[in-house]
Amino acid sequence: MDEFIQLTVNGLTLGSVYALIALGYTLVYGVLKLLNFAHGDVFMVGSFIGFGVLQALGGAVDPVVPLWALLILITLSAMAGCAVLGVVIERFAYRPLRDAPRIAPLISALGVSFFLAYSMQLLFGAQYRDYNLFSASDGALFLKGFHIGGVRVSLVRDIIIASAFVLMVVLWFLVNKTRTGKAMRATSFDREAAAMMGIDIDRVIVFTFVLGSALAGAAGVLFALLVPTQVSIGFVSGLKGFTAAVIGGIGSVPGAMAGGLILGFAESYAAGYIDRIHFGGFRIWPEAAGTRWTDLVIFVILIAFMIFRPQGLLGRPDIKKV
Amino acid sequence: MRRYRLILPLTAAALALAAAAATAALAGPSHKTAAVKTQAISCKGNLKIGFVTPLTGGAGFLGNEQLSWAKYAVKTLAPKMGLKVTLVNGDTPVEQGPAPAQALAQKFIADKSVVAVLGPSTSGAVAASTKSYFQAGMAHVSPSATRTSLTKGTPLEGTPAFFRVVPGDYIQGPSDAKFMIDQLKVKKVVLLDFQEPYSLGLADAAQTVLTKGGVTVIRLSAPNTTTDYSSYVTRVPSDAEIVFFPTQKPGDAQTFARQLVEQGKKAKVFGGDGSNDSSQFKTPGAYVSNFAPDITGIPADAALIAGWKKDNPGKAVGSFGPPSYGAVQVILTAIQNACRAGKGSLKDRRVLISAIKHVRISNWILGGSFRFSTKSNDPLNAKFYIFQIQPNGSYKLVG
Amino acid sequence: MSDTTPTTPPGPDPPLTSPAIGRDEWVARHLERRLPPRLGLIERRIRAVPWWAWLVLFVGAACMLPVFADSGYVRRAYGFDIVLYMLLALGLNVVVGWGGLLDLGYVAFYGVGAYAYALLDSPHYGIHMWAVLSIPLVVVIGAVVGLLLGLPSRRLSGDYLAIVTLFFLQLFQTLATNGDQFLFGAGNVTGGANGLLNVDPIDFFGKEIAVQHNGVFAVGYYFIALGVFALVFVALRFVNESRTGRAWRSQREDPLAAEVMGMPVNWLKLMSFAFGAAVAALTGTLFASLNASVFPLSFYFVTLITVYTMVILGGQGSQWGVVLGAILISVLLELLRDTGNARGVFYVILAAGLVVAFKLSRRLPIIAAAVIGFGFAAHAIADAVDHSWVAGTSKTWTSDWVIIPEHLASWVPAVTYVGLIASVLALTLLRGWVRAVALVPILYLAAFVWENVMLAKPEPTRYIVIGVILISLMVLRPNGLLGEKRVEIV
Repeated sequence: MDEFIQLTVNGLTLGSVYALIALGYTLVYGVLKLLNFAHGDVFMVGSFIGFGVLQALGGAVDPVVPLWALLILITLSAMAGCAVLGVVIERFAYRPLRDAPRIAPLISALGVSFFLAYSMQLLFGAQYRDYNLFSASDGALFLKGFHIGGVRVSLVRDIIIASAFVLMVVLWFLVNKTRTGKAMRATSFDREAAAMMGIDIDRVIVFTFVLGSALAGAAGVLFALLVPTQVSIGFVSGLKGFTAAVIGGIGSVPGAMAGGLILGFAESYAAGYIDRIHFGGFRIWPEAAGTRWTDLVIFVILIAFMIFRPQGLLGRPDIKKV
Repeated sequence: MRRYRLILPLTAAALALAAAAATAALAGPSHKTAAVKTQAISCKGNLKIGFVTPLTGGAGFLGNEQLSWAKYAVKTLAPKMGLKVTLVNGDTPVEQGPAPAQALAQKFIADKSVVAVLGPSTSGAVAASTKSYFQAGMAHVSPSATRTSLTKGTPLEGTPAFFRVVPGDYIQGPSDAKFMIDQLKVKKVVLLDFQEPYSLGLADAAQTVLTKGGVTVIRLSAPNTTTDYSSYVTRVPSDAEIVFFPTQKPGDAQTFARQLVEQGKKAKVFGGDGSNDSSQFKTPGAYVSNFAPDITGIPADAALIAGWKKDNPGKAVGSFGPPSYGAVQVILTAIQNACRAGKGSLKDRRVLISAIKHVRISNWILGGSFRFSTKSNDPLNAKFYIFQIQPNGSYKLVG
Repeated sequence: MSDTTPTTPPGPDPPLTSPAIGRDEWVARHLERRLPPRLGLIERRIRAVPWWAWLVLFVGAACMLPVFADSGYVRRAYGFDIVLYMLLALGLNVVVGWGGLLDLGYVAFYGVGAYAYALLDSPHYGIHMWAVLSIPLVVVIGAVVGLLLGLPSRRLSGDYLAIVTLFFLQLFQTLATNGDQFLFGAGNVTGGANGLLNVDPIDFFGKEIAVQHNGVFAVGYYFIALGVFALVFVALRFVNESRTGRAWRSQREDPLAAEVMGMPVNWLKLMSFAFGAAVAALTGTLFASLNASVFPLSFYFVTLITVYTMVILGGQGSQWGVVLGAILISVLLELLRDTGNARGVFYVILAAGLVVAFKLSRRLPIIAAAVIGFGFAAHAIADAVDHSWVAGTSKTWTSDWVIIPEHLASWVPAVTYVGLIASVLALTLLRGWVRAVALVPILYLAAFVWENVMLAKPEPTRYIVIGVILISLMVLRPNGLLGEKRVEIV
């Protein structure tokens, strides 16, 4: 039982990060109908910005500000940096293609993804960047927290889950309760009609990119609290976030949150139980394979969605307008 | 009809071209390869040594460390032996599979002044290119490829032209396991692999010995793209003593060790040579095995290290670099011996294969003396060294 | 960085501020209808030559490569490998260029082909099928897998297909990497991460064609690949000129209209998908037989994006375009591996970019002279201030012009690189003479960054170049070098 709860905690941590990434995909898709493949790399840049600011503030072991202020500062600066990056990407790589065939911005997005990932590798190399928070205040972030029986919910996990939750609430408020949010939803529903109603589409799109990229920046820092960051997490985690968005229904904000959590739990439970699954002695994968087919669980979920519910958990079916 | 006026002459020209090319090509290779065989290489001229290693990508740290030592070896040793030698670098990022190694092999084989190859540094690259090198009679000496099947076993992936100056995984996996059984007296061990050849080989080799030794083994496997290991950490039983974690990414070993502490597990991480990097993997109590000792502890190497440090200011002596110094020393000594036997010239590059096999070096950089085993192209009596990470992050030799 | 100089599309259209897409084709072409196309004598002659004559000429010329190059390296890297990429690009062109579908799982079919061939011709299962049997079988397998993947995706609309195929590529990777302990007790199927080894070379009715002689790449394989290329080229050409090809184009431009006209749109999309898959699988057999081994990671994202860049650069929809794209990109990537070559490539592209941007106007020599002068001045000043600022490299042909410091401070790469990107982006917002003036220091900055930052790390640089090509092509010239200008009615 302890093991199950611990796996749930792990899955929740990972899932909240995935959900934050998925929100960026889903927001942009909702407004622009664009699969923004560069989003994962914005996430990676965010974690690097966090690292840079952390070093500038004296590092985790001997910071010039208190630890809580340090965490807030690096998160905010990563969010701001990524928001700028998102706006620049939109302005120069996507806006010129807004009326182009649908395939054009997708290819441009692939190009941006490549460009960002390898530019970071050019400048900062492929090695790991460790926030080293484990050494901050004698490891309090990792060693303190709730200890219930054998289950350990360390402080750093509390911080990740709580911040992700707060960010999602803020986002929900922005999208549902503000004028700009209303404009976003209108644009997402029908861009042309929204434009005719006097909504400044350019502003809405820029705002969407600011929101999505800032969330990615925050996710980048939160993830890097847990594990060291490196250039390739952009591709790997970006793909996870994208998968989460697709499962939840791309274009749907609550869907992305749900999708992120589903994916986080799926990964965690798969690593925990996959080698013990059998049906009366019959095993789908051989016993010797151990946990190596964990990735397959994600694909089984995906294939099930693709066949039975292609619009995703909470997505709207795509109605063709003539 | 007018648009067809140009066709006839063009088609005729093209067909003529194609025919000429085909005949030339069919005639071409045979007489050209024949010409290669009779070409002797003067020892007075500028000799090139190809160097195949990952200089960029995830394993770039390894290649660059090796490069600094190889450069230093060429700079200091070649003039003493009266040779003019230059290194020609080739990059094989591990992310790109075998293709770059094969292309580089073609490049070096085609270059008549390349007499031998240092590397390839990674086992995958060796497997991909060793047949080409062998057929072309080019000796290649790797400072770090440890896959067992490159020098022994069936199916054998290596060729007689392949040498390595460090022992293979057939020693590393079992000696790590023996250390766990004999020294640490373990009862329960978790083994992880990362679904790539290096870790699979090591984990399998260790598993065999551990199971034979009556140790309870739990085998887990994580995709190579895993970044957060917390769910695998949860799988580690609270009474397991060791997690064998043969990763090629030292940062991941560090993550795993920390997450063990976070979840209150008492198990210690045991990493292979791939995680031997004291700047990244530094959780106290963890173990690391490697094919080379820390040469800063060898008194005879003091002058050597001082010289290298002068060329590479601000860099720490790692464990991947010194074996490549040794490999260069092996190649240069072989060239010197073969030149002496050939009275100032090499009949072809093939003579270096047997010259390398018979190289003997008395002041080996990794301590003691060096020669190849007569049974396989592995170093004789080489062993693996096991370190434990100390509270201050330094590596202490424990076995 | 050099591809960001803007080009105006040739042809009778007046210069536009945005590319000519998204407009109604009939409207877009009104100028063409008014004026008869003004073709030069050479262009008219070129257009008069039928495609098959070009093919014969091209293949004939390609056959000459071994005559000029006796190095196994050149024959392989600039010969065989390029032909492989040409084949891959031709196949992708069917899906992307003709079908108008974004297939992000394309290289998985390449992998399926390679693995299928490796299983049919290797000691793994002890099967050693004749190549004349196994290769067609692999092609059929590729096509069938393509059909199977496409079938459940009922409406293969752009984004949905991109998602499904992207996940298919991931699934392929997972299956191949873990296939040494396959599902349902099938045992060791794919060899897992260790791959499949000792794959047979291609045989001619049982007589094996050696991959290398004395370790040197055997040129016979190059001719085999060229032959396959010619076959595929002709076969696809016929398909494209048939009813199916015309139907592909019409459903690509407007699927709804095509469906209303009674075309089986879904079936057409599946067809183009399967055709692409078959070509990729065929290429996979050549790859597996030449390398004598297959590994999962050879068929992943980097290969995918590389092939996409070839198709986009050459021009989606044009067979000659994608062949040209494959050649240009392969040669570029191979040249960038080597520092000396990479240095030259940069200045050649820079010069070519300037010529394209300014045509042969008066401003071209002025700007060129200004850049050269600026460089010598900057170099002289830097030298006068501190000699170590320019003492970084041994003598190269550019070392008197570009500043190469002896020790690069750790902040320099990041600052200059990001500064270069920012200024190039800002340049696109400028107009007129301001832009021309701003261009001069930016070009010099580009040269500085290239020589000091990017040349030292060829691997990231190669892929940065790919990314830049993709973005700038999409923004400036989505139809590539030889592609048809596409107009999608939105």
